[in-house]
Amino acid sequence: MSMSGKSFRVLGERTARKDGLARVRGLERYASDYYLRNMLHARVLKSPYPHARVRSIDVSEAEGLGATVITFRDIPRVRFCPRLVSTPEATYKDWLVLTDRPLYVGEPIAAVAAESEEEAQRALESIRVEYEVLEPILDPLDSMRPGGPQLHETILLGDEEVRVEGNLACRLEVAEGDVEKGFGEADVVLEREYRTSRRYHSQLEVKSALVNPEPDGGVSIWCTTQTIHNTRLLIHEIFGIPTSRIRVYRLPLGGSFGSSIHTNLVVPIAVALALKAGRPVKLAYTREEDMHDHSSYQMIFRLKLGAKRDGRLTAGELDMVMDIGAHQVQAYPLLGCVVGWWVSLYKLPSKRYRGRAIYTNKVPSCAMRGYGNPQTTWMVESMVDELAEAVGMDPLEFRLKNYVGKGDIFWGQGPTVKSVIESCGVEEILRRGAELIGWDKRPKPGEQRGRYRRGIGLGRGFHTSSAGAAVPGTVVDYSGAILKVNEDGTIDYITAMVDQGGGSLEAHAKIIAEELGVPLEVVNIVAADTQTTLYDVCTHASRGVYAGGGAALRAAREVKGKLLELAARVLDAYPHALEIRPDEELGQGIIYARGVEGKEITIGDLTTMARHKNWGTIASAVSFRPGSCPPHFTAFFAEVEVDTSTGRVRPVRVVAGADIGTVINPDLAEGQIHGGFAMGWGLAVLEDTPYDPETGDLLCRGYITDYKVPTAADMPDVEDFKVFFVETHEPTGPFGAKGLGEAAKNPAAAAVANAISNALGVRFYELPITPDRILKALREKG
Amino acid sequence: MEINRVNTRIIPFRFEYHSPSSLGEALTILSRYGSEARILAGGTDLLVDMKQRLVEPRHLVDIKRIPELRLLREDVGGFIIGSAVKLRELERSEAIKGRLPLLHEAVSSMGSVQVRNMATLGGNLCRASPSADAAVALLALEAEVLIAGPTGAKRVPLEGFFLGPRATLLRPDEILTGVYVPYPPEGAGSAFIKLGRTSLDLAIVNIAAALKLRGGIVEHCRIAMGAVAPKPLRLRNIESLLSGRELTPEALEEALGMVEASIKPITDIRATAEYRREVSKVLLRDALKTATERCGGRRS
Repeated sequence: MSMSGKSFRVLGERTARKDGLARVRGLERYASDYYLRNMLHARVLKSPYPHARVRSIDVSEAEGLGATVITFRDIPRVRFCPRLVSTPEATYKDWLVLTDRPLYVGEPIAAVAAESEEEAQRALESIRVEYEVLEPILDPLDSMRPGGPQLHETILLGDEEVRVEGNLACRLEVAEGDVEKGFGEADVVLEREYRTSRRYHSQLEVKSALVNPEPDGGVSIWCTTQTIHNTRLLIHEIFGIPTSRIRVYRLPLGGSFGSSIHTNLVVPIAVALALKAGRPVKLAYTREEDMHDHSSYQMIFRLKLGAKRDGRLTAGELDMVMDIGAHQVQAYPLLGCVVGWWVSLYKLPSKRYRGRAIYTNKVPSCAMRGYGNPQTTWMVESMVDELAEAVGMDPLEFRLKNYVGKGDIFWGQGPTVKSVIESCGVEEILRRGAELIGWDKRPKPGEQRGRYRRGIGLGRGFHTSSAGAAVPGTVVDYSGAILKVNEDGTIDYITAMVDQGGGSLEAHAKIIAEELGVPLEVVNIVAADTQTTLYDVCTHASRGVYAGGGAALRAAREVKGKLLELAARVLDAYPHALEIRPDEELGQGIIYARGVEGKEITIGDLTTMARHKNWGTIASAVSFRPGSCPPHFTAFFAEVEVDTSTGRVRPVRVVAGADIGTVINPDLAEGQIHGGFAMGWGLAVLEDTPYDPETGDLLCRGYITDYKVPTAADMPDVEDFKVFFVETHEPTGPFGAKGLGEAAKNPAAAAVANAISNALGVRFYELPITPDRILKALREKG
Repeated sequence: MEINRVNTRIIPFRFEYHSPSSLGEALTILSRYGSEARILAGGTDLLVDMKQRLVEPRHLVDIKRIPELRLLREDVGGFIIGSAVKLRELERSEAIKGRLPLLHEAVSSMGSVQVRNMATLGGNLCRASPSADAAVALLALEAEVLIAGPTGAKRVPLEGFFLGPRATLLRPDEILTGVYVPYPPEGAGSAFIKLGRTSLDLAIVNIAAALKLRGGIVEHCRIAMGAVAPKPLRLRNIESLLSGRELTPEALEEALGMVEASIKPITDIRATAEYRREVSKVLLRDALKTATERCGGRRS
């Protein structure tokens, strides 16, 4: 049921996902499970220095061992951006596939392919490289200072060459309203600095690519990716292979969390090796290589907010510096999103923002579930708690007074993607959540004295569902769906959209079954690739259900119209008077005229008849651009217990509420929120990738022994983790649905941080809030 | 360079694998190859070291097929645990749980189920990690290690076995065949506590304490800590301070005051030295408290 009073047949039901058994039994085949006959195994030679120049490179011994070897000389010197989601004028290009000027420990210099992994490894170790070691810069604030090492002299913006000054990769300034006046009207003004960490995605599937060179000069690619079409476009851009001859297969993904929005370097490296060897080449990263491949964005915020005594916000100013590592994946669009995340939480009559992205000699940063929103939300929600305290207001009421909700302008994915919010369950989430956690019984900050102190914290947030908008903007966002009806009454669903593992395609199948009136079992999610699908931009921005489902729904509507049209001919009835019902016994849909006995035909019989009568295939192909990117809302109420002797924090209870519009898969949706909380917990108290100042390498050197993520045992018991969904209907979404993947995480860290502060009466301005930092803060407090 | 020599998907160098079925055969192989050989038991440490290129043995001697090293049996006044007995076997043994709860508690905290299904008790000792959980428990239990070599067998206290990180008394031609663990005194209580970054972690600090009280007076006291010095440490000075005394708040404070001088923690990626010093005292207090509560056979 939804708020609109509509009742659904399939949506909202607890159904087993089609790929579920294969996934849990280990039978699903991911990119690294693919093998081809005659395949070579590849290894990458990585820079051991954070900043260096390659003086010479001798590969003769490796070639003598029979290996195929490539260096930067073997690849077209095309500077590119691995992420093709933005339009050219918003895309900075500073990458090479293989480089002679490495900018981080782990940057690929050369690669080999040989008959076995062992032979490839031996060949790799025989390559001799002479480096000119350059001074590295690891801290973003140091990097901005004049006179230090410069990482890039010039980079490309679209096709235009631009100079890089002071390692400033890109910047964005946005202002609206009179900020000085706004602060002048405020009764309370707070200004604070907040620092987040650099985290590793810890996705289960590490990056992998298998490339087969085809006789026509093209390539076939099986790889880890969130976007098969953009992978194809990038390989064309670098190698000039005709787009139509690059075939990228859609594969199941073992999680990615944003680490494969861009095309991974393993793909062009494997392409270059395969082209040179004339044989299939597989390149699969080890976990350690994967950790040297990507990380999240570290952000340093300076935030100033003003509020009147009645709790109304008057003005805001935000200065953000982010450490993006050695290359830009999507730093520029992120600068826009950060201001979007910031101003879309609470109404700010006037605001000013400056965002700067800074190069450092570290592993390149890329989106990580929430795309800067978890960091921004932690900052805002921390200060909102402090502001509420300063004006003497309940933090929950303060939030209700200021939140951006229904009818408000929503900045979505930044200042260029604006829309009006049409569905919003924030108030219900907060009121119900407060009741379930016992908000009014929470302790007063700092009043507890014992060793173990408990606190309750609130964090609320949102994320966009897709990056759609009424106008084109600088972000590409559309999806495609093809449906065809088979002679047995089953429906083939063909899409380029990748399922990250969260069940997006399962949701599409349910949307199609709902619209067509057929059993869920007859909708087949069929294997697909770039040659057989319509374009889909990428599975990111929590757009899987909303945008991909939007395309699927429209394709289903077209097919339904055709089915009814043909059935009307057969049944001697009017198409608009016909309906479809599922017949579980026959295992397919039946088209019938309501109330008229005998006037019915199964979809299978109709399709077969259409074949005999040469009416053609009943099919549709739809390309769909969402006209907005509605926010889905969440809030976490977390209760934690702090051991003030050891500084350890333990989650005691969690209440999470979400407005995701129509709930399509309740179990999967709930699972998203559990997982989102775990990632938020890691951000709040655990995760970071510090660097060794001596070597410039990751201190953990890529070993997960020393990059800890929370396990199930570190989370509250399932009985102590309550998830609820409020009933809303998003008019622009398929059957009223919105996204979920990222808001499932965004405010979790804020809730945890606020709970710790509630327990201890101490605020923390740097993440993660480790036991060490807690003990220090308690000592300083005395 | 290091980063290019590591390939954790494979063992990136050649070695010869030996799988003797008797202790004598194993000793002969070790004598033949000396320091070129390494003993393989569960492999949860050794294979990681090999993949990381920290060691590159030319010969691996797998001792898992030697029956006597797989035995877990009661002996006079204690247990003899074969060096190739899996941690999971100890965890699942009712006898160990009942008679050596301290060891059981330590072993159950180690790694994941998958790791415990492979890792062996002997391996945990021979790796000589400063944070080895089982070693800390066995020190507090005053275990002895059984060593076989070309000239015969010997039995030495575990405390003298560790020389430093990754270094033990064991010579290249010797094998740790087992551990003798005496039962703690009747009515003693014990506690093992470990602090990690998550529930699945190596210890930032760990502690094992065994205590027996008679009429409120400490009659037996054994304390060992890990990850606070180059090797797992027995805190004898604190043991003797507490022995023969009542566990008053004053006695406890005195004991806690001795902790800092007894340990030499370092700063690493897991924690700072300062943090380790701080929580060592907390762990000692907690361990003594729990061990006291468990005295007289009560154990939650």
